[in-house]
Amino acid sequence: MKRDPLGLLALPGVGYLALVFLAPLLLLLWSSVRGPEGWTLDGYVRLLGDPYYRGVIAASLQLALITTGGALLLGYPAAFALARARGGWQVVLFALIFLPLTVSIIVKSFGWGIVLRRDGILNWALLNLGLIERPVRMIFTEGALYAGMINVFLPFMVLPIFAVVRMLDPRLPDAAATLGASPWFSFRRVTLPLSLPGVVAGVSLVFSLSVAAYVTPSLLMGDRYMTMSMVMAKAFLNLRDWQLGAAMAAVLLAMALAVVVGAAALQRRLGGR
Amino acid sequence: MNDQHLAVRGASKRFGTASVLDDLSLAVARGEFVSLLGPSGCGKTTLLRCIAGLLRLDAGSIAVAGRDISALPAHRRNVGVVFQNYALFPHLTVAQNIGFGLRAQGVRAAEAAPRIAEALALVRMAEFADRPVTALSGGQQQRVAVARALVVRPTLLLLDEPFSALDRKLRETMQVELKHLLREVGITAIFVTHDQEEALVVSDRIAVMNAGRIEQLADPATLYQRPASLYVLDFVGQSMRLGGTVSAAGLGEVTVETRLGTVRAPGAFAPGSRVVVAVRPEAVTLTETPPGGRNTLAARVSEVSFLGSRTQLHLDLPAGEDRGVVELPRLPPGIGPGSAVPLAFPIADTMVFPAA
Repeated sequence: MKRDPLGLLALPGVGYLALVFLAPLLLLLWSSVRGPEGWTLDGYVRLLGDPYYRGVIAASLQLALITTGGALLLGYPAAFALARARGGWQVVLFALIFLPLTVSIIVKSFGWGIVLRRDGILNWALLNLGLIERPVRMIFTEGALYAGMINVFLPFMVLPIFAVVRMLDPRLPDAAATLGASPWFSFRRVTLPLSLPGVVAGVSLVFSLSVAAYVTPSLLMGDRYMTMSMVMAKAFLNLRDWQLGAAMAAVLLAMALAVVVGAAALQRRLGGR
Repeated sequence: MNDQHLAVRGASKRFGTASVLDDLSLAVARGEFVSLLGPSGCGKTTLLRCIAGLLRLDAGSIAVAGRDISALPAHRRNVGVVFQNYALFPHLTVAQNIGFGLRAQGVRAAEAAPRIAEALALVRMAEFADRPVTALSGGQQQRVAVARALVVRPTLLLLDEPFSALDRKLRETMQVELKHLLREVGITAIFVTHDQEEALVVSDRIAVMNAGRIEQLADPATLYQRPASLYVLDFVGQSMRLGGTVSAAGLGEVTVETRLGTVRAPGAFAPGSRVVVAVRPEAVTLTETPPGGRNTLAARVSEVSFLGSRTQLHLDLPAGEDRGVVELPRLPPGIGPGSAVPLAFPIADTMVFPAA
């Protein structure tokens, strides 16, 4: 006896995900601990024992944290502006923030290259304004990489925060003010805790996307800057070292999961106050 | 008047080209309950938000207890507000909601705790202290909103349509309960409402608002029996009103020719003036041979509405400025739609207004 036959409607979707996502994932995890001579942790030992790979993991983590932090700093106020804007202004802001999503990530990263090149638009403008005397190296610097990464992933921070903030009752800050709460107290005790679900969703999304970034770092930094995804690609495609690639994939997955779970737990703790 | 606790003087507010408050003045005595009554768009909520400091006046001043607060932001005014739908903080418990203002004002926890407990007891919500507010019924939410506003000891309490979210039965109970509670606390309160019955129940005085101005400010009985204008007559209570022309005037009385007959009323209008005469529904009786000092008219009934404690007759009048509602304690036998009825009402209770 089935109690809710509507539950069956989920079957095709679940089945599809199981086939194209869950099965390969399990296969990948399996191949990270399976060598020619049976079960082994050799892939993880080689990965975590090698200062080079540890450096790559640290660099990816740092890149993801800076990208997530930057996107949060820029995206949180932007989401509020978007939610509070009226009529035509909201359309304009919406377009400004989300139009970049419609441009392919490769085009976008290539665009950053054009802007930041030695003979690029930014150097040209700064030279003509007399602010610099000779072109500054921008592309292939970490600053350029962070700027590009934040640009690419900002919409993924704004959208979930906007969705939550849009539903906030505008009379709650009013009520706080009439009770004697300064704007800062009202923000800290009312607006911020109520917007946390959006922040958690945005942080989880941007962190998991940016820790696995591949295209933007390789276009803006070239080969000298290796992210975990780039190492994975090399391991699978060039070195044919499946064990190493799969181990890196498992570490990447664990890091993304840790942030998603940690952010959700943090929200439950702060939201309960 | 030295006793005035709230003094609004020459208040004006525009939104774009629309004038929402138009040189409005209002004085409220300490401990008094005043309702701002009017249809949506009359400026009553704007006036409330200006007093609370959530909006700034374009011109004019607002003083509470002799101190001009016009320039202060909302969080420095100490004016409490009970919002429509209450605006409780959904992420906090009942006690945390009530304690919010104390915490915001830096009251120490040791001092806040007994005050929160006292406020909880005042609104009979003590056993709900640790519940999330989202789990409360409408009436309970209202009590929390009132306690939250009162616990910081505001100088003035503003209530924005506080009963509109409640169903009818509960609304009537809460109106009396809240009035009693606020009286006990001894606070000065301003109610904003579009519901005239509610205004009559909760207020000492009612300010009927129209297009950003106060049309009449009076106690409920005066407002009902002696409305200052046709607008007030129509907004507060029902009436039988008939358009007509003054045919004779003198000795503080006018004679008016109406569609249904000749009516005399206390008033001073020149003969030939277009006027509207009106009488409240319960002043009318059905008698062919009334005692002296009464107007008599002949009319036809179009509809009968039984309302329990009374019965309403709607008179057959052409659409327009004439409106006919008569109320009887009991419906006489043989009267129904189509019946011809003789109407009688005291001349002293007949009102006359210039035609709009």
